[in-house]
Amino acid sequence: MRSAALFTALLCAAGSGVGAAAERPAPDGENLYRHGQLPTGALLAGSRDFGANVTGETAACVNCHRRSGLGNVEGNIVIPPIIAKYLYRTRQANVLDLTLPHVPGFTPNGWAYTDETLAQVIRTGVRPNGQPLNALMPRYALDDESMAALIGYLKNLTTEPVPGVTDTTLHFATIVTPDADPVEKKAMLEILQRFFAMQRDVIAAESRPMRASREIMYRVTRRWQLHVWELTGAPETWQRQLEDHLATEPVFAVISGIGRREWSPVHRFCEHNSIPCLLPNVDLPVVADNDFYPVYYSRGVLLEADLIATRLFDSTAVQPRRLVQVYRSNDIGVAAAEALATRAKAANIAVEQRAVPASPESRGASSSGAALKRAIAGVDRNDALVLWLRESDLAALRGDVPTRSVYISGLMGGLESAPLPVRWRAATLMTYPYDLPELRRVRMNFPLGWFKVQAIPVTAERVQTNTYLACVILSETLGHMLDSFVRDFLLERMEMMLSRRLVNGYFPRLGLAPGQRFASKGGYVVRLPATAGDKLLAQGAWSTP
Amino acid sequence: MSRSPSSWLITGVVAMALGLAAGDLARADDSDDNHAHHHAVPTQSAAQRTTAEYTIPDVDLVREDGKVVHARAEFDDGRPVLLGFIFTTCAAICPITSATFRQFQDKLGPNEPVHIASISIDPEQDTPSRLRQYARKFGAGANWQHYTGAVAASVAMQRAFEAYRGDKMDHAAVAFLRAAPGKPWVRIDGFAAADQLIAEYRAITAPSALASR
Repeated sequence: MRSAALFTALLCAAGSGVGAAAERPAPDGENLYRHGQLPTGALLAGSRDFGANVTGETAACVNCHRRSGLGNVEGNIVIPPIIAKYLYRTRQANVLDLTLPHVPGFTPNGWAYTDETLAQVIRTGVRPNGQPLNALMPRYALDDESMAALIGYLKNLTTEPVPGVTDTTLHFATIVTPDADPVEKKAMLEILQRFFAMQRDVIAAESRPMRASREIMYRVTRRWQLHVWELTGAPETWQRQLEDHLATEPVFAVISGIGRREWSPVHRFCEHNSIPCLLPNVDLPVVADNDFYPVYYSRGVLLEADLIATRLFDSTAVQPRRLVQVYRSNDIGVAAAEALATRAKAANIAVEQRAVPASPESRGASSSGAALKRAIAGVDRNDALVLWLRESDLAALRGDVPTRSVYISGLMGGLESAPLPVRWRAATLMTYPYDLPELRRVRMNFPLGWFKVQAIPVTAERVQTNTYLACVILSETLGHMLDSFVRDFLLERMEMMLSRRLVNGYFPRLGLAPGQRFASKGGYVVRLPATAGDKLLAQGAWSTP
Repeated sequence: MSRSPSSWLITGVVAMALGLAAGDLARADDSDDNHAHHHAVPTQSAAQRTTAEYTIPDVDLVREDGKVVHARAEFDDGRPVLLGFIFTTCAAICPITSATFRQFQDKLGPNEPVHIASISIDPEQDTPSRLRQYARKFGAGANWQHYTGAVAASVAMQRAFEAYRGDKMDHAAVAFLRAAPGKPWVRIDGFAAADQLIAEYRAITAPSALASR
């Protein structure tokens, strides 16, 4: 059985941004472009006519032109692409170059830059024809070595062939870990397969590709193909297995996936192989501020730990004498309990972590009940008790509630269906990192209606809804990319577009931005109604800890 | 024909104004002899000044120090106010706004009784601790506070200042100056230089200006 120490170690490693990419010294051009650092180690500095000068990280090209170099749109500011493919392109009346990604900021130049004229415009802000660049673009007084590194970088940026994209097909993968719940796994795969089938039907029904003036064809209609990557064996081997899958079945991106306890090997695979991974079904994601490729709906149980911490330690009410946490030693509650313990210690609250050994399903409820009884023994009314337990354990709780300050994880415990014994229901608080059922009801008509039309039975509503939403988001984002199938650009477009969505299934709203990889930021704390099926009793407003 | 320096900007604005899809935009860009682009759109450097009466809404905000404050009380404390909207993960516009606010702050010096306020338009992401980090990054001193709060409170502030554009990614550069409670707000759309802001500030806080009305 996996120990608590392993979970903690993985979490810490991810938290400090460890990864092969971070350890390898970046080439000079990349350092300048992404981090605002010159080959000498000095900071990049840029100046503007109206002031607002920049240095270091804030002067880096990536801020505006983005990681792909394909530019950006922010408000009424359109930032042009700056990869060499655009800058060095000779004037053509028509854009007939289908290998040239079409991005909002692109306008054909009346001339092609050379290394010399490009260096000149970066240094002076004035184009070869005497026109100034937009006032927002800083001027950079780069030395020759730095300039050569930058121009070399722009010549290679976004030039590599994109895996998983052929003239007829876009390939995507989904990832299933061996510990995934079988019902949830089946439910997720069915949503993906039906969505991909629908995508194919729509394309088959279309008479001809979209065509622009001057004979340019956009959105050459490619059908979506799904590859299901099922992992086996120990988590230590998963990253290698995924890389083998990727080598034999190249994909453009990963859409969804499902697991239960371990996810960090998948996260590392995404980041290490520069593959956008849209991951709607992960309750313990990896929090790594500098990682770019894995995207999650929320921080899951770590968000729940923060919701509890805010109520227990940040309020002016009486603080608990002690925090007692109960979790299974092989489950995601280990990491959540660790995160909450850190907050408690910062607030000078004593912490007692009570790991219950992993229990095979076969041992049954009576043995669970006995183990849990031992775990909560000695808890009194001055303590706060936090239970990071799944449904089967919650159902096995016995006796009376030892304190009025009991919290359970909604994500682990089954949300409004949490099977708490009657005597525990009224006294227990539950974290609920979704919109309340009555507030999301109308929004839920979209996924539920689609399931109905597709004759998909609702067997795991949360997983099905979250997976469906991920498919819709992917489809919308690709639709806005025209034929610019560039992996980094997919994420950059998603950053721009996601917060504009109004209908988001379980979530009141979603949003990303450069550096944001958790789309929903908050949640509720609720009490369960006395009668199952009645309205949840929200304890305060939606909050973002 | 030659294109103006802000032609790509104009293309974007026109496309947005017409509600065109990206495909249409790309099509419009296929040719650079398209005269439809040439509407009067100001370049970023030409900030536009207007004055307006805005009512600070009856909402609570959360300051970077974690304190919950009432917006009206916070901005009606008698000091002149320079106010703007930002979010901490904003790539293009906010770093320029905040760099300009810093220059404004530094040029006035720490003893000037002015209140500089930056209000988040991505309040769920921008927790007080993230705002503190952002404030440090831009060298905010004792007179410059950053605010977050509930989404509804942030939207109410943006609406009150006619700066709400529906989504954080659709925002535009704008700054607001007011000499004292009850005086009109000076609104500067676009990227004002710190010197322009200082000149505005000096003009509206001059004794003669304060005595009027």
